[in-house]
Amino acid sequence: MRPLPDQPLAEKTLKVWKIVTSLSSLVNLLFPLAYWGVMQIFNLPAWPLYLIIALVVIGSLLNVFLIQKLQWNRWRYKIYANEIELMHGVFVVRRVIIPMIRVQHVDTKQGPILRHYNLATVTVSTAATTHEIPGLTMENAEKLRDHIAQLAREADPDE
Amino acid sequence: MNEWKRQHPAAIFISFLNNLKQMIITLIAVFIFGQSSQAASPVFYSILFSGILLFSISQGFISWWKFYYHLKEDELLIKQGLIFRKNRYIRKDRIQSIDINAKLVQRLFGLVEVRIETAGGGSEPEFRIIALKREEAEEIKRQLLTKYEKKSPLSLEQIESETFIEENPFWFLQRDEKDLSHEREEKAETNASIDEDETPEFKWELGSRRLLIAALTSSGVGIAATFIAAVVSQAPQFLPEWLIDHVIGWFIHSSILLIGGTLVSILFAAWLFTLVGTILKYGFFTLKKRKDDIHISRGVLEQRQLTLNATRITAVRIVQSPIRQLFDYVSIYVESAGGGTKEEDLSTILTPLCKRNEVEGIVAEIIPEFAFTPQYEGLPKESLRRYMIKLIVPSLLVAGVVTYFVPYGWISVFLPVIAALLGYVQYRSAGITQYNDFLCIRSRAIAKSEVYLPRRRIQDMESSQNILQKFDDLYTIHVAVLTTMVGKTFSLRHISKQQMKQNELWYSYEATKAFQEEKTSNGDEEA
Repeated sequence: MRPLPDQPLAEKTLKVWKIVTSLSSLVNLLFPLAYWGVMQIFNLPAWPLYLIIALVVIGSLLNVFLIQKLQWNRWRYKIYANEIELMHGVFVVRRVIIPMIRVQHVDTKQGPILRHYNLATVTVSTAATTHEIPGLTMENAEKLRDHIAQLAREADPDE
Repeated sequence: MNEWKRQHPAAIFISFLNNLKQMIITLIAVFIFGQSSQAASPVFYSILFSGILLFSISQGFISWWKFYYHLKEDELLIKQGLIFRKNRYIRKDRIQSIDINAKLVQRLFGLVEVRIETAGGGSEPEFRIIALKREEAEEIKRQLLTKYEKKSPLSLEQIESETFIEENPFWFLQRDEKDLSHEREEKAETNASIDEDETPEFKWELGSRRLLIAALTSSGVGIAATFIAAVVSQAPQFLPEWLIDHVIGWFIHSSILLIGGTLVSILFAAWLFTLVGTILKYGFFTLKKRKDDIHISRGVLEQRQLTLNATRITAVRIVQSPIRQLFDYVSIYVESAGGGTKEEDLSTILTPLCKRNEVEGIVAEIIPEFAFTPQYEGLPKESLRRYMIKLIVPSLLVAGVVTYFVPYGWISVFLPVIAALLGYVQYRSAGITQYNDFLCIRSRAIAKSEVYLPRRRIQDMESSQNILQKFDDLYTIHVAVLTTMVGKTFSLRHISKQQMKQNELWYSYEATKAFQEEKTSNGDEEA
């Protein structure tokens, strides 16, 4: 069997993910809010409200502190001379093989939070699909991008 | 040929009809599916309709009045728009294909529509001039596809593995100018040497007997049935109240047989619709091959012509619905970079109906490299229950709810049984194999479908494993190829670890080199 890819993401990426998921978890507060709103109009029991709040809080905590950690632990990539391999996913483990000769372009990109932590995402595009390596240190990401670009350019089209 | 021209005035009428059609479809959709319990006054409706009518006519007129085209030596110029003016320069060397279609409205006036597909595309890869005399259309086609010396062609490989100019932000421009022009020129050259009279290297016709069989066995009944049911369910609004009361009363008192009868007649009507639809769509179906170009023409009322370059084909699909399976008939689709149509899921139908054992022969003439008949390797027995459970669980839920709430709902206990059967058949159909440089996947949703994917067209390969699959070490395989405008991913669920490994080894460009040693050294351990 092929060896598993072994390159992890930058450690600070986990921190960024925790921040991002915390922020997006706030959206879940809309559920209890909606129920509360309905309660004002109709005569509904109050206990589901507490249940929903409990579920949202527990779910968000699990997501932020456990799932993100697992996600980060699972994320691995590896650049070979002729292909890129990615592995990620907590509940569904995905492994992707992208041959170098199919790579059309590589980019680095960063949002405000990634930028604050001096991180960047590398995107690899083929004619049909786009893949991301989220969260490498700026320096690493640029090196990786140039490396992939170099390999993609050199890839033997007859292969 | 040297001045700006308008289209034939019939364009006004044609675009008026098109506009009207679109609006009426929207209206009907709103009408059927929307809440129309509070019926608006007739005055409101007549104002609305006359407004729409007026709008469509004036829009049709403007789009004719303010539309000019100018055919030059090596480009087609187009000016259009009243408020938002748009100038388009369609360069000869960027043209992917030119199709001349005659739809029903155009045929009324003896006109044709020219559809130009440009390479790369961007937001508007397609361009139409809707009303032209046939001679003019032919002239445009001839002009835009001729007069080039032969240069090195740009194959699909080159588009897919596009020259990597990462430092230059304008790499795509360079690509346009250099490479695509070569390609177009080459294609133009091939096209130019073709006269319409020249006999093709290969010709295949559907024939009336097969057309009839295709129509009789066509699927799509479900969609038509839903539509008819929707229309019927809306009918009560237009009927007088006493009639409705009468009918409802009758329904309540009548037996399940009557309800069944209504269902059957809806299905029958739907079947008639699809029957006629298929005949009109695939009548006079002809497939021709000249050099690298595949020409497909079809249609009774709306005549369509498609031109497809054989070197751009990225995958072949062979589809067999259950009814057709009884008679061993299949249809062949091809996926290609450019040229697919929306109504066929961005694919192109190569053969609407033929026997399974004829496929290899037809494909051999059109795209020889895809001509083979693979032997599929089935899935491990652990997959069987997954295919069955996946369908049984939701159908059990539905059956439970229906039994509880609907009179005679217990009949729905057949649902899980049917689901289990379907799951079993899906499992039996599923298979995967490699045939030289091709990956072949056979699977079934309801119709059985086989897909042949050449290794050099596969953009990436993915394996996924969910928590449940982990118990038996099963995987789902996904492979992506380029098709018209978007990438398409083909998947097969629940293949064994051994099969996944084999496919990775087959696909991996690294495995063919570096892992070979490891493979041999680990050979004993693996076995």
